[in-house]
Amino acid sequence: MARSSLSPITRHLRRLPGLLAAFALAAALSIVLDAIQPAPSLPVVVMMHLFLVGALASALGWVAGLTAALASAVLINLLFIPPRLAFAVTRTEDAALLILFLSVSLVSIPLLGRAQSSLRDARARQRELTHLYELITALAGQRRESAIARTLASHLREALQAQSVEVVIQPDPKREAVIACAPDNAAPDGQPDDVVPLMTPRGLLGEIHLWRDTGAPLSDSTGQLIRAAAGQAALAVERAALAEAQTRAQVLEESDRMKTVLLSSVSHELRTPLATIKAAVSSLRSGAVSWDAAARQELLAAIEEETDQLNYLVGNLLEMSRIEAGALKPQRQWCVLADILNQTLRRLQRASASHAFEIDVSEDLPLVPVDEAQIGQVFANLISNSLKYAPPGTAIAIRAQAKADQWLTVSVANQGPQVPAQDLQRIFDKFHRVTAADQITGAGLGLSICKGIIEAHGGRIWAENLPASSPYTFAFHFTLPLTLNGLRHPQLPQATD
Amino acid sequence: MTPIHILVIDDEPQIRRALRTILTEKQFRVSTAANGEEGLALAAAEKPDLVILDMGLPDMDGLHVCARLREWSAVPIIVLSVRDSERDKVAALDRGADDYLTKPFGIEELLARIRVALRHSAQAGGKEAIVKAGDIVIDLARHQVTRAGVEVKLTATEYKLLAYLAANADRVLTHRAILTSVWGPAEADQVEYLRVYIRQLRKKLEPDPGEPQFLVSEPGVGYRFLTQPGALAGH
Repeated sequence: MARSSLSPITRHLRRLPGLLAAFALAAALSIVLDAIQPAPSLPVVVMMHLFLVGALASALGWVAGLTAALASAVLINLLFIPPRLAFAVTRTEDAALLILFLSVSLVSIPLLGRAQSSLRDARARQRELTHLYELITALAGQRRESAIARTLASHLREALQAQSVEVVIQPDPKREAVIACAPDNAAPDGQPDDVVPLMTPRGLLGEIHLWRDTGAPLSDSTGQLIRAAAGQAALAVERAALAEAQTRAQVLEESDRMKTVLLSSVSHELRTPLATIKAAVSSLRSGAVSWDAAARQELLAAIEEETDQLNYLVGNLLEMSRIEAGALKPQRQWCVLADILNQTLRRLQRASASHAFEIDVSEDLPLVPVDEAQIGQVFANLISNSLKYAPPGTAIAIRAQAKADQWLTVSVANQGPQVPAQDLQRIFDKFHRVTAADQITGAGLGLSICKGIIEAHGGRIWAENLPASSPYTFAFHFTLPLTLNGLRHPQLPQATD
Repeated sequence: MTPIHILVIDDEPQIRRALRTILTEKQFRVSTAANGEEGLALAAAEKPDLVILDMGLPDMDGLHVCARLREWSAVPIIVLSVRDSERDKVAALDRGADDYLTKPFGIEELLARIRVALRHSAQAGGKEAIVKAGDIVIDLARHQVTRAGVEVKLTATEYKLLAYLAANADRVLTHRAILTSVWGPAEADQVEYLRVYIRQLRKKLEPDPGEPQFLVSEPGVGYRFLTQPGALAGH
């Protein structure tokens, strides 16, 4: 890069103002002293110059001091030691003073310069330590690699006054690297001036890339600071990884437990209809009994109902696994809610014959942006739940209305038993059943699927015990937004062409 | 009269056995194939009158078989799918399948679908000019719609939509197919147009628009104009 080839020159140029200042001050002092009448004696002149050299060496470093000393020696010789304006010393006393001046200067300059630079170093180290301390404090709370990288980059940039700092964290080569950059997330083009690894005993976790204005090699103390910061960051990354592994282990353990519950529940649920089917079919096939027509129809109806039940159960299991895998992406389009409900009721015709239905879902409700199949599933699950818990012969009411043109609220009410208040929330949890498992069929998945689907649509679902004044005892409610991507369905003119 | 020949392409031996038994009993001639290649070869060799095609085949996707068949044949295709995903059904229909059934299905349903598909392929030359559904009569030649003998006034778009549905009576039509045919390809995704006009048509034609008998929605897929309500229901 062009930048790095320029840097040696820039480095020298940076010293130029100091040099020029030293030279100018020495010259100015000489000219002022020369102008004073009566002329000061040579020892006074030499002392004054010595003072200037000392001051410059401690303020600007030994280079400025040396420049001032040499310039002063030349000027003293030219202006104050006769013969004037000539490089010559005639008197031994003058020569001695000049040599003394140069000797004292040369001895004291390095001492003063070093004192100055060690003071600067001490200040810098203190600043760096402060930054390191701040970095450690900031990293302590971080549990995510992206946050760790961001914190490290911004702290290092501030501590080093660097042009740009990029932090790359990639503990696992198979995973995408986490990259953070300070300032604003774009590293400069070209090779960084320095690359510092993020190491732990486990190996390389990432790298720090530095772009610095000076281009000078890193000083020992700065290098130490960066390595210390890198060490802290590497530890933070390790900590984050450990915390994540622990969370994952807990989740796995929980899902393992759930799977066991699911398997036992599902195998029970699958066997119940299978038992009916097997019994009915083997009865029909056996030649031992000659069934009359009505009995045959009865057995065949039982087989068909049980296969429907099996199909419904398998459908719910599939839906649950989609929700679990995060694969439940509603294919939302503008729909007529009444159409979805009608289809569902038609599908459940046989199973729902035992109950009376009171439907108030107008086909004139605003179009609602939903996945038709998924909302159909919600209706099916809520209706199935009501059919299961509410005694045969009772009524089920399904109502929907638009609220403020923003939401559609839908309710499915039944005349079944009420649910204890503390269970109203929990009935939407997986496998939760209020009554004993063996009395009611179903794997306890239906309501949790409803919750998954409704929430994926941006709606809310809840259950409620209705007051005695209502003809119904218990109701499910859910809401569906009437907007898609923040937009309402455009009001079409009433089909006039 | 030679019996109608049905080719069943399905990798499940139980399904092949059941369909062969039932359809033979219903006086169809039945061939079966266990995978896509065999099915395509049989279709080319035997020129069946109708193909029942499973979507999940071991050697190739049912969609692919559907597309390959359509390259050279107009034979009606009924797609069977265990996938409960509306998108698969729509994809099959958009690739030339005539109808679909989701497993498990009742046999009455399958027979009804077969009847409709065969009727449409028989009419491929010249469609019926008059379609009747309950007390609704749609005269496609004279652009006239009557209900219980009384003329129903329809707007131009309403008529165009109804005529398209009626010309494909009892078949499922995808949203995309209807929108493309009635409104044009540019409007193929504007399902809301369809919703609004179907609502209007139901108000003018259905005895109870809240519980439509003729203009029936197939959730996530499209619409079906039923000439005999209930005949295809219960899936």
